[in-house]
Amino acid sequence: MRSALLLLADGRLPSGGHAHSGGVEAAVVDGRITDLGSLEAFLVARLRTVGLTEAAVAAATTHRAGEHLAELDAEADARTVAEPLRAASRRLGRQLARVAGRCWPHPVFVALPDDAHQPVVLGACGIATGLVVEEVADLAVHHALTTPAQAAVRLLGLDPFAVAALVADLAPVAAGVAAVAVASAEGPIEDLPAPSGPRFEIAAVEHAGRDARLFAT
Amino acid sequence: MGAVHGDHDRHHLPRTGTSLRVGIGGPVGSGKTELVACLCETLSAELSVVAVTNDVFTTEDAAILARRAVLPLERIVGVQTGCCPHTAIRDDISENLDTVEELERRFDPDLVLVESGGDNLTATFSRALVDVQIFVIDVAGGDKVPRKGGPGITTSDLLVINKTDLAPLVGADLSVMARDAAVMRGDLPTVFTSLRHDPEAPQVVEFLRSRLRSKV
Repeated sequence: MRSALLLLADGRLPSGGHAHSGGVEAAVVDGRITDLGSLEAFLVARLRTVGLTEAAVAAATTHRAGEHLAELDAEADARTVAEPLRAASRRLGRQLARVAGRCWPHPVFVALPDDAHQPVVLGACGIATGLVVEEVADLAVHHALTTPAQAAVRLLGLDPFAVAALVADLAPVAAGVAAVAVASAEGPIEDLPAPSGPRFEIAAVEHAGRDARLFAT
Repeated sequence: MGAVHGDHDRHHLPRTGTSLRVGIGGPVGSGKTELVACLCETLSAELSVVAVTNDVFTTEDAAILARRAVLPLERIVGVQTGCCPHTAIRDDISENLDTVEELERRFDPDLVLVESGGDNLTATFSRALVDVQIFVIDVAGGDKVPRKGGPGITTSDLLVINKTDLAPLVGADLSVMARDAAVMRGDLPTVFTSLRHDPEAPQVVEFLRSRLRSKV
């Protein structure tokens, strides 16, 4: 049984994700997500941008088996433009390292740079638990998809079964993104994919300045 | 945590600070923020105090504390809980723990107050987040609340029943509340307060002082 893979995929693992909406709260406030259809468009765009970037860094980290951690973290930093998202990624990295270090003690957690970005820490989790690169990419993509989907259920009162079915239907898109991430894992670190969605970045900055928000990002 | 974890795990260092971490939970509107404000006002002259708030709308409670200037702004931090106040204090405490540890590093406080977002009677704090928990309910919620139980009422280290001044107005019988609380809580203490009329909250302050003394 692949216990570590299942635990790392489980939203109940206490790693801080529940406080984040993956940009959904800002999009709901702006009126960019109002229903299932606009949620689907958002999720696909997010998978192909932030999702791919995160999966690529995580997969590349696992592939390097503990080498070049500082370079990988710098590349993650360069790909996370908005300051609130950088801060959140480092905070989520700390939170994942806290629980993963308890579950699977391993020297890679000591070797990580201070406040490493979440995808780098996820890659380290892959190293600590013996996951293959494909599994780590799948994990990153899974969370890039389910975190915003869950937040949309909470914020809009959408039918939870319909949202679950939407996430299931997006499996081919998610698999495609994960495959691109895996394919890039062996190449030069500086050539890792860096697609970005300027609207996500701008909305994240606007969101951080709002008074009434339920989610950190 | 076993010694085997120690060498490989600098992300989970044992606590080195001497602070007393106090969780304050309870239903919406029972007076949690008011109690935090009162405690800060009464204790911050003699103790180093920091506060973390978990309001549903995140900065609302922190903003109230800031406006009342009960603590310097940098000592009050609001965290987001993603619509789930009880998750943030019980099931996945990482966001709160991260914030508490950061405040402890910066200020080396004697007292860390963690105020939960307003929730229901099932809310309770993780023992990995706080040393002591105070549950605040109020008289206006009805005198049947203590007998309804739930972990906040049955297991909190101190039950505070607030707004006693409203008892005659809402037809609440304080003796019923006291009797039911004693049945539900056994030897655990319960105090009645009217923070509006007695903002120094002497019974709560005395409770915390004794916990601080026993910690040293």
